[in-house]
Amino acid sequence: MRATDNQGSFLNRISIRRNQVVSMDNSHEQELEDLDLFQKHVADRFNDLLLPPQTPPSAAAPDSPSSASPSSSLSSPPSLLSIAWFRNLLDAYLCCEAEFKAVLVMGRDPAQFAKPPLDRLIPDLLDRSVKALDICNAVTSGLELVHNWKKQAQIAVTALSQKPIGEGHVRRAKKALNTLLASMAYDDKENNNNHHGKSTDRNWSFGRRGNGGAVVKTGGAKWSVAKSWSAAKQIQAMMANLVAPRGGEPTGLALPVYIMSIVLVFVTWALVAGVPCQERTGLATHFPVQKQLVWAGPVIGLVEKIGEEWKKKEKKGCCGLLEEVQRMERVSLSLVEFAESFKFPMGDEAVDEVAVMVAEMAEVCRKMEEGLVPLQLQVREVFHRIVRSRAEVLDVLDQVGKVNTPVAY
Amino acid sequence: METERDKHHPEKSHSFTTRDATQENNNDDHENNHHHHNNSDPNPSLHPEKDPNNNNDNNDDTTNEANSESQTEPEPNLENTEVEKKEEGQEEEEDATGVTPEEESHPPPDFDQVCQEIDQFISALSTAKGGDADPPELPEAMEHFPFLVEAKIANYDSPESPMKWNQLSEEDSSLFLETVDRVSKLMTSLTAFSSQSNFAPSINHIGGILQRAMSYLEDEFRSLLEDPRIPDFNNKINESKAKQSSSSWNSNQEEDNSPAEEPKSTEEDSFPGYSDEVLSDLNRLAKAMITGGYEAECYQVYIVTRRTVLEETLHKMGFEKFSVDDIQKMQWEQLEKVIISWNNTFKQCVGVLFNGERKLTAAVFDGDSEVDGLFSSVTAGILIQLLNFAAAVGMTKRWSNKLFKFLDIYETLRDIAPAMDELFAEGTVNELKSEASLTRTRLGEAMVGYFCELENSIKADTGKTPVPGGAVHPLTRFTMNYLQCACAYKDTLEQIFREHQQIERADSATGSDFDYNSQSGGSSSTQNQVNQTSSVKLSPFSIQINKVMDLLDMNIEAKSKLYRDPLLSLIFMMNNWRYTKQKVKGSEMNELMGDAWSRKRQSDIMNYFKRYRESWGRLLNCLSHDGLTVHGKVVKPVLKERFKSFNAMFDEIHKTQSTWVVSDDQLQSELRVSISSVVIQAYRAFLARFSQSFTPGRQTEKYIKYQVEDIETYIDELFDGNKNAAQGKKRP
Repeated sequence: MRATDNQGSFLNRISIRRNQVVSMDNSHEQELEDLDLFQKHVADRFNDLLLPPQTPPSAAAPDSPSSASPSSSLSSPPSLLSIAWFRNLLDAYLCCEAEFKAVLVMGRDPAQFAKPPLDRLIPDLLDRSVKALDICNAVTSGLELVHNWKKQAQIAVTALSQKPIGEGHVRRAKKALNTLLASMAYDDKENNNNHHGKSTDRNWSFGRRGNGGAVVKTGGAKWSVAKSWSAAKQIQAMMANLVAPRGGEPTGLALPVYIMSIVLVFVTWALVAGVPCQERTGLATHFPVQKQLVWAGPVIGLVEKIGEEWKKKEKKGCCGLLEEVQRMERVSLSLVEFAESFKFPMGDEAVDEVAVMVAEMAEVCRKMEEGLVPLQLQVREVFHRIVRSRAEVLDVLDQVGKVNTPVAY
Repeated sequence: METERDKHHPEKSHSFTTRDATQENNNDDHENNHHHHNNSDPNPSLHPEKDPNNNNDNNDDTTNEANSESQTEPEPNLENTEVEKKEEGQEEEEDATGVTPEEESHPPPDFDQVCQEIDQFISALSTAKGGDADPPELPEAMEHFPFLVEAKIANYDSPESPMKWNQLSEEDSSLFLETVDRVSKLMTSLTAFSSQSNFAPSINHIGGILQRAMSYLEDEFRSLLEDPRIPDFNNKINESKAKQSSSSWNSNQEEDNSPAEEPKSTEEDSFPGYSDEVLSDLNRLAKAMITGGYEAECYQVYIVTRRTVLEETLHKMGFEKFSVDDIQKMQWEQLEKVIISWNNTFKQCVGVLFNGERKLTAAVFDGDSEVDGLFSSVTAGILIQLLNFAAAVGMTKRWSNKLFKFLDIYETLRDIAPAMDELFAEGTVNELKSEASLTRTRLGEAMVGYFCELENSIKADTGKTPVPGGAVHPLTRFTMNYLQCACAYKDTLEQIFREHQQIERADSATGSDFDYNSQSGGSSSTQNQVNQTSSVKLSPFSIQINKVMDLLDMNIEAKSKLYRDPLLSLIFMMNNWRYTKQKVKGSEMNELMGDAWSRKRQSDIMNYFKRYRESWGRLLNCLSHDGLTVHGKVVKPVLKERFKSFNAMFDEIHKTQSTWVVSDDQLQSELRVSISSVVIQAYRAFLARFSQSFTPGRQTEKYIKYQVEDIETYIDELFDGNKNAAQGKKRP
């Protein structure tokens, strides 16, 4: 389900609708129908993320020529919080967003934006999208960091793929892995007592001599986003005012705005939990979602699963729930353990044991190699999409809520 | 060049003699060098560096290649080690001493000779590999070589006080690298026969040594990289470009070479902050690591370290990171400053820093296919961060005064494209350029929005208080100044509006967007239709400017109706039209508005002018000769009435109209001249004809209140905005 694939069908829908807007007058009915469709699509997409379809994706979603996604085409569907899963998540976001914009803006009388409830909801939404941009930027740097980890891991893989494995190979691997583990551990452990937002120092405190006494250069400019910026607080702020429209009142556009806000908060929250980010201490582990709504089930399911994971991992200080990173950390620890007890020459059993670990690490590296760059590009796509949509909504606001202020000459 | 030689010599066994010769030379130099050190070096902190030299001195009696640590002769070495350790206050000696006893149990092998044998062995191995033959036997040298080399390395990489690379003499570093190179090649050759079980222990041992050496090189590579002198960008002129050296690095500097200034900076200020010596060291270390198969570590250290240094440089240049959220909340005054600093940083970054970075990467990894990748790994993230700032600024609350700063950002982003083409490889550059152009598009849209904003502000300006004296309305001044400033960026704005129009067209074609500004096309109406028909098709930006001008015209015309005196209305219109005309004439707007507009405006002004002048007809009627004579005789009571009403009317005109304002000098004087030419002539004639009808004295004084000169003077006082004139006319 690549975003671009869906774009086509989505655009068709709009142009059809545009004609309809011109030709017929029962726009209210149309509105309700659109809203239902939107909710249904959101539900479908999140269902897929929660419980990936077991059948090949092409059969499940005949309207999207989707199998372009490399990891989901033949092998089993991506597991929760893996790189491939995040790519699907961002695709889902992009699709929901496009559809949302169609519901919100297309053929809409802009005057609605100036009236309750939109007059209050839209500014909230815009504010959330600004905050989401900072998350995108933090995640971009986080992925860069993961990329660096991958390179360290790759060194270990290269070294330990030699035959026979000698002391030099083992020391080389160990050095790379210790650097990797130190960098992974740097984040949350040290960051907790340190309000200087050093998490990205770690970015660049890689592999100094001895690994131990991290000679971190001082001098600022080390933050990926901004000094004292905190991903956890940002998410917290995005969750504020996240209230479902009450049943009785004529909700109209309030509902899609609510849905989109939940989607946005969920996606950014999952990214922060998954990818190393500047200052994640105290990241919320759940947020309220109106249960009755058709799409709420899968979203709540995902929030619970990820929230559980986060609670488990946060205590021991973790470098992100990203599945590949978790595996990388685990295999690194075993490999370092192996390295510490290494004696040349190795027995056959040990050779096999290492081979298994190395193969797993190589597999993780391969997944990162394949997935990280596309994921990074997707995060950028989300970034630009949010910027653009915000501008479009502002344009509508400009047309209606035009507070005609004379120039101050 | 030395690095080349280092790399290639050991490969070719036939070059032994040459190498020996070179090294003899080296030794000579070295010796001299060393004496120099011993005798005159005033800096005690350099002592650790001297020790290998000391060893060398002790060994130099033979034609040996200088063994910097002379494990072959344990006694002096031990002594030296002792000295070194003591000097540095170090306790642990096991590295050096731990090896030595083991060494002592053998007859001291000659390192040089061992090396020769190893080189032959390497060459034999590669021959065997090529010919699918059985591997050669392990030579005896293989027993000694690892220990000798290990001992050598031990003198460098002591964990407590490793030798700093930049304090090594040229010879020591070369010899070290030569040894490492031999180890690398030996390892490679041995690994080709890794299935041979009898090779395994050697592979293990040599591999361990290689790792140790590489680890040391990696650390030294990093610490050399970590310590550049970051140039002071505020003080760029003072930076010395004087250093002339053979290195292509320096000669490629684009800045012209100014004469040497401060002596301290002559040696090492070449951007990006590494001296030629350090550069060549970096290059040699990188080569050694790549040859040893440790390129991954080398690249990684390079990327991480340079990235840190670059970030620090940006910070020193005054670039601060702000979150998108912070930028939205920032006061304009502060944001304006940050934008200026961003603009400088960005230009400096892409124009100078990245250029330097690119050259640095090329210099350190010359000929390496990874240069493009390394360079973009170091810089692309930084560029994205800088672009993020521009995107965030583009999202800030719209306010038309931001236009000019936005234009600056827009132009900066637009103008870097060619530089990026040169800097980045194709794949990266496309991605970065599309990032930049997306950001540019957003800014462009914001700016298009500013013009809508301007339109709205004009429409919203519905104040009911007329400007005193019919002067140029502040709205006219504001709008015209705004447009004038905007038109200084005419070409850029043309581009922005053109791009915007294309996007809109594309949007309406695919239907992916709603029509914002749907009214924008057909509404440049009223007056300026003249332009549309008479000239070639107008550019989108011209249409926008014309539209703003139309709105302004309509607004000003409405405001002119606020005056109770229709004559003052005319003055007001003349003033404002004249002002706009002059503003257009004196700026880039002229081209946009076109000649037809100017002609139309001029004829409007003339029209108002004419109507105003006609208002003086009433006064001139008083001076009409008609009806004053009956049968050739002056009817005095009528004459008296005429004079009285002339005087009263002129008084009144003077009183009011001297408070009116015509700020344009030329217009003011044209008005005065055109009035006085008519009035004075008529008055003079009138006086000449009728003044003698009065009896001289009292009567004359009573009715002929003004002499011709007085009229002239008073007309010259019109349109002066003179508040006192109302009481005035008591003039000499």
